[in-house]
Amino acid sequence: MSTFTKILIMFTLLNLSGMLLGASRAGDFTKDIKKFDWNGLEVTWLQDERLPLYHVLIYFADGALSDDSHGKGVTNAMFSLLDAGTRRYTQKDISENLEYFGVDYGGNVTHEYSTYSISGPVKDIVPTMKQICHLFREAIFPEQEIKREVRQAESTIQSMINNQGALASHIFRELSLQGSPYDYPVAGKLKDLKKLNTKSLLLKLDYFNKNVKKKIYISGPERGLIIREIINEECGWKGPGSTFERHMDYAPVMREKPRIVFVSVPKANQAQIRMGRFLNKEEIKNPEMLDLVSNFLGGGFTSLLMRAVRSKEGLTYNVSAFAAGQKEYGRSAISSFTKNDTVITLTEVVRNTLGQVEKQEFNVADFERMKSNLIGSHPFAFEKSSALLTQLAMLDHSGHPYSKLAEFPAVVQKFGPNETAKAVHDIFDWNRQTILILGDETLKKKVKDLGEYESRFYKDFL
Amino acid sequence: MKGHIVCLLAVMLWGCSHQGEAPKSTSVRPSPSLQNGYELPKLTVFKKILKNGLVVIVHENHLLPIMSYYTFYDVGGRYESRSESTTGATHFLEHMMFKGAKKYGPGLFDSQLEALGGSTNAYTTFDDTVYHQELPSSGLELIMDMEADRMANLLLEEEAFEKERAVIFEERKMRYENSPHGKLLLTMMQEVFKGTPYGGSVIGDEIDLKNLTRSQLQDFFKKYYAPNNAIIVIVGDVDHEKVFALAEQKFGVLQANSELAALKKSKDGAASYLWDDKIFGRSIRSKGTNPTPLFYFAYKGEPLGTRRAFVMDILAAMLGTGSSSYFNQKYVKGQKPTLNSISVGNYNLKYSGVFYIGGELLQKQYLKRFEKEFQADLKQLCPKAITERALQKAKNQFMVSYFNELSGNDDLASFLGVRESAFGDYNYYVKELETYHAITRDEVLNVCSDIMENSKYLYLSMVDGDATN
Repeated sequence: MSTFTKILIMFTLLNLSGMLLGASRAGDFTKDIKKFDWNGLEVTWLQDERLPLYHVLIYFADGALSDDSHGKGVTNAMFSLLDAGTRRYTQKDISENLEYFGVDYGGNVTHEYSTYSISGPVKDIVPTMKQICHLFREAIFPEQEIKREVRQAESTIQSMINNQGALASHIFRELSLQGSPYDYPVAGKLKDLKKLNTKSLLLKLDYFNKNVKKKIYISGPERGLIIREIINEECGWKGPGSTFERHMDYAPVMREKPRIVFVSVPKANQAQIRMGRFLNKEEIKNPEMLDLVSNFLGGGFTSLLMRAVRSKEGLTYNVSAFAAGQKEYGRSAISSFTKNDTVITLTEVVRNTLGQVEKQEFNVADFERMKSNLIGSHPFAFEKSSALLTQLAMLDHSGHPYSKLAEFPAVVQKFGPNETAKAVHDIFDWNRQTILILGDETLKKKVKDLGEYESRFYKDFL
Repeated sequence: MKGHIVCLLAVMLWGCSHQGEAPKSTSVRPSPSLQNGYELPKLTVFKKILKNGLVVIVHENHLLPIMSYYTFYDVGGRYESRSESTTGATHFLEHMMFKGAKKYGPGLFDSQLEALGGSTNAYTTFDDTVYHQELPSSGLELIMDMEADRMANLLLEEEAFEKERAVIFEERKMRYENSPHGKLLLTMMQEVFKGTPYGGSVIGDEIDLKNLTRSQLQDFFKKYYAPNNAIIVIVGDVDHEKVFALAEQKFGVLQANSELAALKKSKDGAASYLWDDKIFGRSIRSKGTNPTPLFYFAYKGEPLGTRRAFVMDILAAMLGTGSSSYFNQKYVKGQKPTLNSISVGNYNLKYSGVFYIGGELLQKQYLKRFEKEFQADLKQLCPKAITERALQKAKNQFMVSYFNELSGNDDLASFLGVRESAFGDYNYYVKELETYHAITRDEVLNVCSDIMENSKYLYLSMVDGDATN
């Protein structure tokens, strides 16, 4: 890790000073990431001897898109209930054993892929990974535990109103991705939870064990590599059998006019605002530009939207923007909130700011500052091995070479204000946006000022 | 201490002369009896105190060309007063610190820093106001120059002042008014510490926020933003000798506040923090927008650093940390769960503290029935929950947590600064680890019994205002 990172940063700095290096240097730093073939299983290892801690990320090349219409949310539930019991151990035994070692563990499911991460003290990596493999081979998903999990999931969903920011983001994701294969919540909805059962979860686990392609990412001291045999023999992941990787073909999704949706929640004295859209596969081919657009608009205290909405107008505590992709689709979103009285004002300020960028009516110095910010902040992404490990996994998932990390500063450096303004227009053109206003019922009258809108109740999305 | 830091994060706002001695270099010696098979990494730290009292702490980490820069000011909500209508003043001042000073005028602090690739933020608690930056190490001199500028010459301009007032109102709504959890937590803190300097609210009472003036903030600034009330911690790709030289150059010329010690002594007197016993043994029931009931059981806590505070950290972990903890197994993960979540916190401040159990009921569970069951459990849980294995598990979890705090510049700078601010010793964590290690089951059991069986608590609940429960 240390050698790799130092070389990477040296490379970054050289690029910053204008002394661009050839692609061959990029090839050099990839040598510091060790790749192994553990009996047909691809393993990536980042050595980090600084602390006696390891991080293991198990990557699965499928996610919630594997759930059919009768079993929405099953993949997420399977990973979530993996520790709910085996033939040998109860849920209590499992959590007791793993937490005794101070281990953090759990799954994360997206539409395209899933991961299961485990981290803890390296001295206990053997018993920990044996326990994890035992879960993957022997989980039985007891009905009693499913019932309990479902009750808690239902309660959690119903309580989303306690955090209106999170509620708005949850609803906005579904609205803005409508028409694509990715709009349904990964965890399913309340109606789906009731259908969860032992059989469907066992079938899902079997599918992920036997069919889905896996990769292992490890960071930490060298002695952590001792888990090879455990992974191969006790998890049973080896050989050429598991090769399935999720791919999705879909017709491009693009709006021709804005869609404004008002979602009411009772007694809210603050309005949540979200705007953005689905990004088609063709639109995520330049991730560096997406990063620059995000940073220019909403990446820091001096980004355009932060200055316009917070510093100049005092309308909100926070505004953020992002545009990013995975392998085959992406999303863009601008998020903010304000008091009920100023919901239209804030929306108009955002719209006007975007309009000015699209017309290239912005200060080039502001653009250059946020570009420098993006380049200068790049090294922070490599500080923690676990974060870097995740980045490597995502590069593999998206089919990008690791050299993309080192090339990032030079690629961003070349972007000019005009092409960035065009990218902002392409992504945030008002006519293509889904705009969500979430707040108290009384806001309806104000939302009318934005144009034609749909009105919904928040429970429709739970 | 671990528990207190975790809890502190939950409630804070988001968020030379070297006195004739050579810079102090500390190597932490591995202590096999302490570490249960772990070996602490060698941590070399340099400390210097300028003539004007400014403390500068440096840990060099040359892995990457980046650094973290923290400034701790020993001023927070405890120096505000409801009777003087100044609640929220230190937090407001924290916002204004980004709005321009004499050399680096409005907008320049952020823009200079962000142009380098840096980022900045701050948080305010009852005890401290903390500013932090992450930046390329090439920006060392710039950040020290800018921090020195705003420590000495804050502008506090009228226009920016009013804009930030509006921003803080939105922050207040986000954290408390629109958040049932935040609202109940704020109520708990205000009730538990009623009548003491911790009984206000860091974000500020609504009426005070409306009426705070620039001159009131100026007064706080003049009194508390002085080099002898500040600690700078730098971790990253820097040379400590260069840092000390720059500190001398940039901050050495600033005047100490000679009246500060007397002022703080008058404010921090132990008599100000005495408990009002009438607070405990009461119930406060309120209504909110939460679909399922929320609750807190709050007990008298301890100030930072007492032996009992460490034992209470362990107790909190044994009862509420992780799926396998006593409360989680009984009320969340058990065969007949009644709660959606439960947590136990031991929040230690410099001069007082609170130990609390908080949670959220599952749907279709009745609060009154739960209260009865839980109150009965509190009276008999200690022997069942406090086992040798649970104690060792808590200690193991603490060790891993300590290692995680050493894993990045930002984490480590905060780690060192929090201890220097609280105990005047960045190295205090060695004592913390020794103390945790030495705690026995009997000790935890005694404290558990004392709290759960013998102490009164303040009970707070919040139910859906549109439903009956």
